[in-house]
Amino acid sequence: MKKLVLAICSVMLVVSAGFGQAKKPTIMVLPSDNWCNDNGFMIEFDNQGTKVKVPDYKKAFQSSSDLMNVISKINGLMADRGFPLKNAESALKTLESESAENAMLTSKGGGSVQESPVDKLKKTAKADIIMQLSWKVNTTGPKKSITFNLAGLDSYTDKQVATAQGTGAPSFAAELPILLEEAVLSQLDNFNGTLQKHFDDMFANGREIVIRVKKFDSWDGDLEKDFGGKELGAVIEDWLKTNTVKGRFSTTDMTENMALFEQVRIPLYDAGGNATDARGFCKGLQKFLNAPPYSITNKLMMKGLGQATIVLGDK
Amino acid sequence: MKKATTSIVVALTLIAGLVFSNTSYAQIGEKKAEKKANKDTEAFRYEIECVGNGAQGTYLIKVWSYSKKATVAKEQSKKNAVHGVIFKGFAGGGKGCVAQKALASDPAVEQDKAAFFEEFFADGGKYMKYVSESTDGAVGAGDVMKVGKEYKVGVVVSVMKDALRADLEAAGVIKGLSSGF
Repeated sequence: MKKLVLAICSVMLVVSAGFGQAKKPTIMVLPSDNWCNDNGFMIEFDNQGTKVKVPDYKKAFQSSSDLMNVISKINGLMADRGFPLKNAESALKTLESESAENAMLTSKGGGSVQESPVDKLKKTAKADIIMQLSWKVNTTGPKKSITFNLAGLDSYTDKQVATAQGTGAPSFAAELPILLEEAVLSQLDNFNGTLQKHFDDMFANGREIVIRVKKFDSWDGDLEKDFGGKELGAVIEDWLKTNTVKGRFSTTDMTENMALFEQVRIPLYDAGGNATDARGFCKGLQKFLNAPPYSITNKLMMKGLGQATIVLGDK
Repeated sequence: MKKATTSIVVALTLIAGLVFSNTSYAQIGEKKAEKKANKDTEAFRYEIECVGNGAQGTYLIKVWSYSKKATVAKEQSKKNAVHGVIFKGFAGGGKGCVAQKALASDPAVEQDKAAFFEEFFADGGKYMKYVSESTDGAVGAGDVMKVGKEYKVGVVVSVMKDALRADLEAAGVIKGLSSGF
């Protein structure tokens, strides 16, 4: 009897340990495109005849002391709340140094590090949630005030998951750094309040992800291919219905060549009690499609915790 | 002579009795007022307004409390301030004030953790650790009002909300941002 109780206790301990920690999203503060444009931190280039402007974050970090002060203050306050953030400037530096190291790295046999165009494209500073920051100085005669905006954007669903916005009290004497510090101190609690709600929703209803299904042109099948009276697209939808939390997902696009599933709510833990993410979840779909009667070879690619793409027909 | 002495003793005894009974009446009255004030706190019968941006980690707020005794209302303001920051939040307004939500986002937490909060908000309880009067006990002109049979007293206090939140998180009363990760 004692042994049975001990065995039950140890199983419960293992299960509870497994379910203890969900995958923690990373958060990074970045200035908004609007702020970069207003302050002249943009790069303009010609994209096949169209002038395109993109933010020059490196220049912004190197040139704007106010931006650095605000980001540093936010990072410090978030660390105090037990949620340290990724520092965008450091992430950019790491990317640069890694690129240089990769370029120089050779094996004893003379081989170099292999990198596909997709690998190169993916080498950007990224986080699961971007805290998009902007502020504007309002001047009325001698008085100055700050309109401050902090928006938390989910990198995968493009949803705004947290927000804090407001205009501070006008001041005759206070300098800009003081007004900015006041804005951060007064707005960050509200931002964290909305972020907490997003996390609560995630724990209650599962992580929201985006799944894309595509096909290689070398594959002779497509999403309209018939399997026992059901098109492949519908078969995938059935799989999602069974495996998502409360069967929640939306089919946003479905053609013979591609499918886009949004608002897919996946469990935070897999059947083994391990924390999972979009890639872990889609591995199940990958296996399902690989197995008979479908036997479709496919390639699984991921982006962070919340986006996965399955390309059918090849590896 | 003996008669006079007896009369004096009786008179003194009467005076002493009167004084003691007055004191105990006052004490009973005060205790009653305190009890009523605690009930008012539980019923959220107080108002909070923001009076400015506090130092980092604090809220600078004015709390309006009600009691038949002005001193009780003034003292209860500290308890009300912490209670309000945890359960009520406050509106923004002028002076750069930004509306702040309650620390406890789950409205059921007050009932779920009733035993914790009973001890926390007991007279001389832990709530005292997170609040201080910013005006050294002085109540501003116009901040004591007689409303019917009660006094409405406004006291400016500073609540150490970061320390309060951290301790409530550590006690498992409210969830932290990284809870579950």
